[in-house]
Amino acid sequence: MRILLVEDDALLGDGLRAGLQQSAFAVDWVRDGPSAEQALRTEPYAAAVLDLSLPGKDGLSVLAAIRKAGVKLPVLVLTARDAIDDRVRGLDQGADDYVVKPVDLLELAARLRALVRRSHGQPQECLTAHGIVLDPAARCVHQHGQQVMLSVREFDLLHTLLLNMGRVLSREQLEQQLYSWGQEIESNAVEVHVHRLRRKLGATLIQTVRGVGYVLMRPTGPA
Amino acid sequence: MTRKPYSLQGRLALLVLGMLAAVWTATAAIVWFDARHEVEEILDSHLAQAAAFVVAQYQHDRPASEVQVDMLSLHRYAYKTTIQVFQDGRLVLRSANAPTTPLVADGGATGFQTVLIDNARWRVFAVHEPATGLQVYVGEQEKSRNAILWAVLRSTLWPLVLALPLLVLAVWWAVHRGLRPLRGLGRTLLERRPDALDRVQVDDAPAEMVPMVDALNALFQRIETLLESERRFTADAAHELRTPIAAIRAHAQVALQETDDALRRHALQHTIDGCDRATRLAQQLLTLSRLEANAVLDEKQVDLQALARRELAEAAPRALEKHQALELQDGPPCRIYGDEALLAVLVRNLVDNAIRYSPAGARILVHLTQDAAQTRLSVEDSGPGLPAEDLARLGERFFRPLGTTESGSGLGWSIVRRIAAAHRMVVEVERSTRLGGLAIHAVAPSQDKAFATN
Repeated sequence: MRILLVEDDALLGDGLRAGLQQSAFAVDWVRDGPSAEQALRTEPYAAAVLDLSLPGKDGLSVLAAIRKAGVKLPVLVLTARDAIDDRVRGLDQGADDYVVKPVDLLELAARLRALVRRSHGQPQECLTAHGIVLDPAARCVHQHGQQVMLSVREFDLLHTLLLNMGRVLSREQLEQQLYSWGQEIESNAVEVHVHRLRRKLGATLIQTVRGVGYVLMRPTGPA
Repeated sequence: MTRKPYSLQGRLALLVLGMLAAVWTATAAIVWFDARHEVEEILDSHLAQAAAFVVAQYQHDRPASEVQVDMLSLHRYAYKTTIQVFQDGRLVLRSANAPTTPLVADGGATGFQTVLIDNARWRVFAVHEPATGLQVYVGEQEKSRNAILWAVLRSTLWPLVLALPLLVLAVWWAVHRGLRPLRGLGRTLLERRPDALDRVQVDDAPAEMVPMVDALNALFQRIETLLESERRFTADAAHELRTPIAAIRAHAQVALQETDDALRRHALQHTIDGCDRATRLAQQLLTLSRLEANAVLDEKQVDLQALARRELAEAAPRALEKHQALELQDGPPCRIYGDEALLAVLVRNLVDNAIRYSPAGARILVHLTQDAAQTRLSVEDSGPGLPAEDLARLGERFFRPLGTTESGSGLGWSIVRRIAAAHRMVVEVERSTRLGGLAIHAVAPSQDKAFATN
């Protein structure tokens, strides 16, 4: 899952990026307000971690600006200010969660996963469809009760398709969800991962819409 | 151990009453002496008249033998008066209560005398006429004279005596009433919440109390400002410390979970960096809080040139790490009056900022100039400099300009400004004409104490 980290402090930003990467997030890191706004407007992140005291343009202004521009991604505000007023203001400006420094990295990761899940209308922790159960926290997948071993990319791809069930996603959209800046994208990477997923989970699970992309259909019949 | 404070009411009442009593006593004494003098004169003149009357009567109607006049029947006061008439040393006339010997032993000249007869004091007027051989003595008991005097004084002094207790009550009441605004203020202060710092309102405060109430309100105002700045400082400091703590925690947690050795080492190194950051920040906060407490400067003559050399030697390794050329322009000793420790902090912060915010390979030049007008410490660099709007905001606490990649809190600038202000220095920031980056000048005017001619 690709997220944007906005933190001006070099040391803290580095730590948060390393920690979130350990939790299998693809992390892009920017250090000031204008860059954050630019990145959020143009890239399809699953979520953003936003520090409030930023050089150039403060976090709340960035938040207000992207909300006004119609960017709907879940935003977790990370800040040193913990007064109730600050929290209320942050949430009113369009933040989805508000975490005060210092934060436990595992908690931060869990909150981000929950935000992403809820933003896709999934109230439960585990994503379920077609006999497949995907647990984002434990990063494991079961099919009919049997654990299926997936690589990091395969897992993320399945996760993205499950979150966007019923929607056709283009190859570019999927790539943008899987890779952060600077990571080399192998040619045909998405095709390769889809192919492997079909081999492990069944050929009919992921359908190809020729010339458009891939889709994981909603289960039909009795829910 | 504190003494019980005296009562203003009691003291005022006592003072007023004491003054009253003194004036009253003086008045009474004057009345006493004056009345006695007048009464004595009147009574003496009566005695003299009586004597003259007796002499005239006697010469007109001379009795052959001793006549005893029973004067007691004449008036109830008569027994307190006495008359003797001697003709050629022979007693010819006397009142019943008069002795047979002359009232005045030596019987000498005409005039008044006071004599003691049978343990009673008598005022006697003697008439001695050598031509006719007549001696007349008219006497009056002092006791009766005093009784008259007392009667006169009684009517004068009685009202005064009666008025005294009434005066005491009146004075007490008046003082009590006069001090009412003071008691009101005391009550108002007592009823305030202990942490209340708003203005004290005293309705119709008298002119004497206005300075006191004003001073009190000014004090409340000062305390409030102080507390507010203290509160803000504490809050800011706590917030500012959260970031390095968060960084330490993040890196420590990454290190705990990391299996890759190199990444783990990297995270651990950053944990230590975070601790250094927090330490530096705590140090800066302490310095700033000491400065804000307006601590007294330990001022003496300081050679800025030598001080800059020491600080640059200290900072040089950090500059070398970034491949920066750090240079102190050589010059003569540059003496100013100031707090050496604080001036060192100022130089350290300026140099530190230049190193931190200039890129690798930059030049940093420190130079001192001193002339009759001013002493100037300049730190210039060849870094990117700052746009005009950021130059203006520099020195706001926790302000950090855009594009800053170095970790920092902006506290260094606050410290520089405060130390400069404490030394009556002006800090000027501009684009460096020599190196193209930022130039910062701390300028102390020479007419000031901060400048010392050597």
